[in-house]
Amino acid sequence: MEESDADLVLRVRRGDGQAADLLLERYMRACRAVALAVTGSEADADDVCQDAFVSAIERIDDCREPARFGGWLLQIVRNRARNLLRHHDARRTDRLDEHAVAEGRSPDQETELEDLRERLRAALAGLPETHREIVLLHDLEGWKHVEIAERLDLPPGTVRSHLHHARRRLREILGNMGTER
Amino acid sequence: MNEPEPVDLSPLDPERDPQRWTLLMAATRLRVSEAVRRRSREADPLAVVTQWARPILAAAATILLLLGAATVFGVPGMREMSQARRLAYLTQSSVLRGQTPTGAELMAAMRLESER
Repeated sequence: MEESDADLVLRVRRGDGQAADLLLERYMRACRAVALAVTGSEADADDVCQDAFVSAIERIDDCREPARFGGWLLQIVRNRARNLLRHHDARRTDRLDEHAVAEGRSPDQETELEDLRERLRAALAGLPETHREIVLLHDLEGWKHVEIAERLDLPPGTVRSHLHHARRRLREILGNMGTER
Repeated sequence: MNEPEPVDLSPLDPERDPQRWTLLMAATRLRVSEAVRRRSREADPLAVVTQWARPILAAAATILLLLGAATVFGVPGMREMSQARRLAYLTQSSVLRGQTPTGAELMAAMRLESER
């Protein structure tokens, strides 16, 4: 049976690095999804989720409810991502070009994929932040409504409704871009 | 409520570029394990004592040096200074041994000079 967040948090507090690894495996993708929802940039999301996770481990004693570690962690990610946006260098270059050398894909395939990503990012940018988080956590990360509700501290019905509106709006925006497939 | 079909968000999946994702995870894991180790070190009571013991011993050594110099150059009021020096020495050696000075040792350190 999967060890609970609360148990893992207590183990980390006792200096157990393996427990920290398990939490990392469990939450890193979700951290990135939330960071992406806030920053809209994959490169920034990578930086933010890494820094936020390390910071969470350093401050693990501040997690008052270890059973709700996930929600606490995602709040750290959100705050870090917002800070990054506030202090972002105006000369920032979009590091998403790093994807261009991904293995096993031709330059044409890579261009097509980057074009798709760009359209998705633009479409997501048309949603409210909470909707972006929910749609990414549900449709990209595969989290269930109830899991999202717990971690985002929202009623499950609200999550369901936000997801509905987010999907509908995404389809509208993508439709207007003429990319609906 | 008629649920709209989900949009395919897989192009945004971080593991579409496994190499990049593996690197990110490895780098994060490294920083996390260092953070856990650092936390453990900071929480270790012995480490806390060690951190405090060094400056205290350094201060005690400086006081001893000053008192020694004062004794050599015959500064007035040296009887009390000499007592203080012996007390400081006794305290320092007790800290090094990890013991508390006994009442008898303290009395002896203070009495010696007055008996002269």
